[in-house]
Amino acid sequence: MPKIVLENITKVFGKAAAVKNFSLVIEDGDFVTLLGPSGCGKTTTLRMIAGLETPSEGTIKIDEKRVFSSDDGIDISPDKRDVGFLFQNYALWPHMTVEQNIGFGLENLKWSKEKISARVKELLAMLKIEGYQKRYPAELSGGQQQRVAIARTLATGPKVLLMDEPLSNLDAKLRTEMRSELKRLHKETGATFVYVTHDQLEAMTLSTKVCLLREGELQQYEPPLAVYHEPANIFVADFVGSPTMNFLAGRGQNVNLDQVKIEADGLNMIFTPVSGSVSIQPRQEVMLGIRPEHIAIADQSSVQATIYSTLPSGMETILKLQVGNHILTSVVFGSKDYQLDSVANIRFTGDRCALFDKVSGKKLATGSLELIEE
Amino acid sequence: MKLANRAKYYFRKPHNVILVALAISLAFLTLLPLVSLIRDTFIVHPSEIMTVRGAKVNDVTLFHWKKVFLDGAKSFKLFYEPLWNTLEVSLFSSILAIILGGTFAWLVTRTNMRFKSFISVVFIFPYIMPSWTLAMAWLNFFRNSLIGGAPGLFTAITGVQTPNWFAYGLFPTSVVLGLHYSPFAYILIGGILRNMDANLEEAALILKSSRAKIIARINLPIIMPAILSTFLLVFSSTMSAFAVPVFLGTPVRFQVLTTQLYRTLNGLNPGYGYIMAVVMIVIGLSILAVNQWYLGKRKSFVTVTGKSSNFSLIRLKKFQIPVSALALLFVIAIAILPLVTFVIESFIMAPGNYSFSNLTTQFWVGPGREDIGGGEPGILLNKYLYMAFWNSLKLSGIVALVVGTIGGLAGYAIVRGRGTKLSSAVNNLAFFPYLLPSMAFGAIYLSMFAKPIGFIPSLYGTFFLLVLIGSVKYLPFASRAGINAMLQLSGEIEEAAVIMGIPWRKRITRILFPIQKSSFLSGYLLPFISCMRELALFVLLITPANRVLATLLLQYNEKGWNQYANGINLLIIIVVLLINLAINKITGASIDKGIGS
Repeated sequence: MPKIVLENITKVFGKAAAVKNFSLVIEDGDFVTLLGPSGCGKTTTLRMIAGLETPSEGTIKIDEKRVFSSDDGIDISPDKRDVGFLFQNYALWPHMTVEQNIGFGLENLKWSKEKISARVKELLAMLKIEGYQKRYPAELSGGQQQRVAIARTLATGPKVLLMDEPLSNLDAKLRTEMRSELKRLHKETGATFVYVTHDQLEAMTLSTKVCLLREGELQQYEPPLAVYHEPANIFVADFVGSPTMNFLAGRGQNVNLDQVKIEADGLNMIFTPVSGSVSIQPRQEVMLGIRPEHIAIADQSSVQATIYSTLPSGMETILKLQVGNHILTSVVFGSKDYQLDSVANIRFTGDRCALFDKVSGKKLATGSLELIEE
Repeated sequence: MKLANRAKYYFRKPHNVILVALAISLAFLTLLPLVSLIRDTFIVHPSEIMTVRGAKVNDVTLFHWKKVFLDGAKSFKLFYEPLWNTLEVSLFSSILAIILGGTFAWLVTRTNMRFKSFISVVFIFPYIMPSWTLAMAWLNFFRNSLIGGAPGLFTAITGVQTPNWFAYGLFPTSVVLGLHYSPFAYILIGGILRNMDANLEEAALILKSSRAKIIARINLPIIMPAILSTFLLVFSSTMSAFAVPVFLGTPVRFQVLTTQLYRTLNGLNPGYGYIMAVVMIVIGLSILAVNQWYLGKRKSFVTVTGKSSNFSLIRLKKFQIPVSALALLFVIAIAILPLVTFVIESFIMAPGNYSFSNLTTQFWVGPGREDIGGGEPGILLNKYLYMAFWNSLKLSGIVALVVGTIGGLAGYAIVRGRGTKLSSAVNNLAFFPYLLPSMAFGAIYLSMFAKPIGFIPSLYGTFFLLVLIGSVKYLPFASRAGINAMLQLSGEIEEAAVIMGIPWRKRITRILFPIQKSSFLSGYLLPFISCMRELALFVLLITPANRVLATLLLQYNEKGWNQYANGINLLIIIVVLLINLAINKITGASIDKGIGS
């Protein structure tokens, strides 16, 4: 069964390297998202797996078979790699009807007419687009075009499905709907999915593993919740999660064996790692990362904040809190609203606050955080 | 009162003023002449008194129509054979142009062929150069001595005498016109390919299609409308070509409609010529109708275009070197070699003798000699040449200024008034001259302005008439450029200025023009270059006092003064290429941004 292995892949366009020495193992049946801001090399990586782009260096294996190797001069063309590819703009052929679009790949496999029409029917039903088979793509809505594109890709039953931001051209409502359908498709086809997106929410909700890229380099490759709770560095912590994580820059020093005392422009805190200890230089520059859901409004606390703004949405309320010179974002679940400029007691909850080294950006530890008075 | 108010509101919008002004003047300059032309096919002209028995000048007669269409063998010689030749030439050259242009467009946009930028620049040359350039080069290479005169370079080098069918007539005319218009196909098809989302091809590739199948099933059907449009445009352009058949057809009496038109209008039977002009216009209009009908029919599958940002070029692998070399040789052969032959031909004393001792500078800087060229001095000492050169520059410059400005304003008004009947009427009127074969258009103006109409005096023989016809004929280039430029600008850009109370003139000159500078400037460049190398349009209207380089060249060619003709042609090409290059470098405007004839 297909397992995809990328070894030391580098891709250079002109002088700029789009992907740098990148290695990745995608297990059979995984749903892996390549996530990152635009220009991070995720689409290039996907196209290199498909064979649409030629790596400058490295090796790619699909199903234990080398499809590309710069050392041995192997470069198998896309049509022989047995992959499906879903394009961002669907790439439906405008001069063919829906059924011709879906059947084209089967025609290339020399299927008989009857078998093709049976398979097309099956796919039309599966993607809920029966009745549109005689239409041209231009006569379909965006969502329907998307379904036709998926049907066309699935028609030949590829065991690897590569998808390049397939939902980015849909409106918000359709996108949510298609997300759950994609997850069903993954289950039903049993294929290996590799999915490119810049939408962290899509990556979080869909995938079994998230691969975060930045400027062509791998940042973290782990299941979504691990990426969320144990971000490898400041970039990952900042990219994943909405509203974004709060960051407080400050200086730290070890106290009481395993704790760290942090001063951040008027706020003083004690950080206790969950496990083990963390040792830092005295007055080392650090960055604290606190998820919005870990800042709570309490009945009593030693620290007070002013409500800077509130955004109640019914299910939760997003608050901006002014604490000293800092503005912190907090999420309060439930249907609550607050007076602007009123004063609230706040505290940090849970043991999943992250401590980063400010210079390297690397995570030092996760743990609980407590505000203290000087 | 209400009506007056409505008129006041209507004309407060600048684009309405422009539209009304254009509608009136274009109707006068394009539709009225057409009526006058049709009238001319039914009346007796002064030179025809002798042929139409018992008739007086301006009598109504069906004589011309009968002679042209229904007079057996005479009609055949006069009309049907040239018509058939015209259709053959147009058909062959359009097919050749599309195959060549399409292939180069595909190679440049889709493969990893080498020397792309050089090839794509040089491939356009034959189109920028006058159409007879390649015809003259063909003669320089392949002319034979079978019909008298000295043989060309090919025979001089190989000793092989070229057969007549190869040297003159249908074959070389079609090939040369095909080569001349292949850049046109290249620009149009290349534009579509460049905009065609490459993912469409990649999607087929992933679904295991062969390269040949992708071209046949994906590329071709999608660019088919563009190919058809190209075919029709090239067809109508070659149909109205005059210079090439003159150069390559005349030696063997190979006549096409335009050469017949020239002969009859300059001869004793202008009535015949006017009928041929009508026939050419009818063919031109039918071509447009077919094009419109076809484009309308295929509305349901408009080309879905997108940007092809992520696109890897097709690797030609072991064919890369041979294909690149072949393409390179080809563009050199069609674009650079001709220039070399002009240089050689203009420096030899006795035609056909290419030995070193036969070289001379007589035709460039020599004083006049009684035994050569009727005593004309060398080109660079010839006052007629300087006069023609100055006339060409003056004419092209003025036409470009007039057309570029009016075309830009027309584009503005048409786009702003979009959806109204007047706007689409002006749009069609401004495009109409494109469909009128140049020679026929010249014939129309000759017929209409030869005598005073109302307060307008007879314009025949005036420089003004040349400017007028050039401006109307090239308006389609400029108005297209203007429309394209305006369509790319959202209306809000101007509205933002309206709200701030910025007057109309300032909006045009300070906001709209600067943003789309290169598109608007293309509207000046194209008419200039076209005008510099125009022959068919002016040839009927030129008098000795206002001749231009192109007609001077024709004269020298008719007299058989090959060296002068080659030298003059070299001058025209150098000027055109230099100006094109200069404008391109300074402003970014380029010939491939617009359409051409």
